[in-house]
Amino acid sequence: MTELMRTILERKLVRRKQLAALTVGEKLRMLEEMRDAAAQIAATRPPKPTNPVRLRL
Amino acid sequence: MEKIFALINQMEADGVIGRYAIGGAVGAIFWLEPFTTMDLDVFVVLPTSSGGTLLTLGPIYDYLLGRGYKPDGQFIVIENWAVEFIPPGTPLVEEALATAVERDVNGVATRVFSAEHLAAISLQVGRARDHDRISRFIEQGALDSERFEGIIRRHGLLERWNDFQQRYLQP
Repeated sequence: MTELMRTILERKLVRRKQLAALTVGEKLRMLEEMRDAAAQIAATRPPKPTNPVRLRL
Repeated sequence: MEKIFALINQMEADGVIGRYAIGGAVGAIFWLEPFTTMDLDVFVVLPTSSGGTLLTLGPIYDYLLGRGYKPDGQFIVIENWAVEFIPPGTPLVEEALATAVERDVNGVATRVFSAEHLAAISLQVGRARDHDRISRFIEQGALDSERFEGIIRRHGLLERWNDFQQRYLQP
């Protein structure tokens, strides 16, 4: 892992810790916003690859 | 989401469900950073019909459909959330439900699985996203090691825990 990658991961961890420390009410409000935003993204149809990688279950 | 918790509290008070607790991804968000999920898992003790032993989700559906909520597959849509009511299927989930903790969400009380039980359930289920969730619990320092190890010992998950540590926690 390069120094840059390590720095990015450390920053992400700090951000996740900040978010985890929010009140439950704030986190659930963010969740509702994310859900609404995800629904908008899901409403679009990205092109499918012709030969997709498949999970072996 | 507070409205959903208030409704579930009312269902408990009305005897439609027994003890309940929030689990799954929303339960994890109580302890971790928010991440996207589309449904709400409510683990419930189902009351038995008087004199009977049959456990059924029927009374839950009757109660909610009677109040205008609509079913969608295994879910019932409440306040735009797909809510699933799940009776505990393993001794681990039974214990998680029995020992769930009270939390306040903007003035509405609710109950959620402990971080240690949520992580142990993720270990038991064992999908890639469950492993990711366990890593987040560890990263956040959200797990009490004594409580967590007690749970995984009681529920025969030590081997899985050792495997997980070797795969993901080795430097």
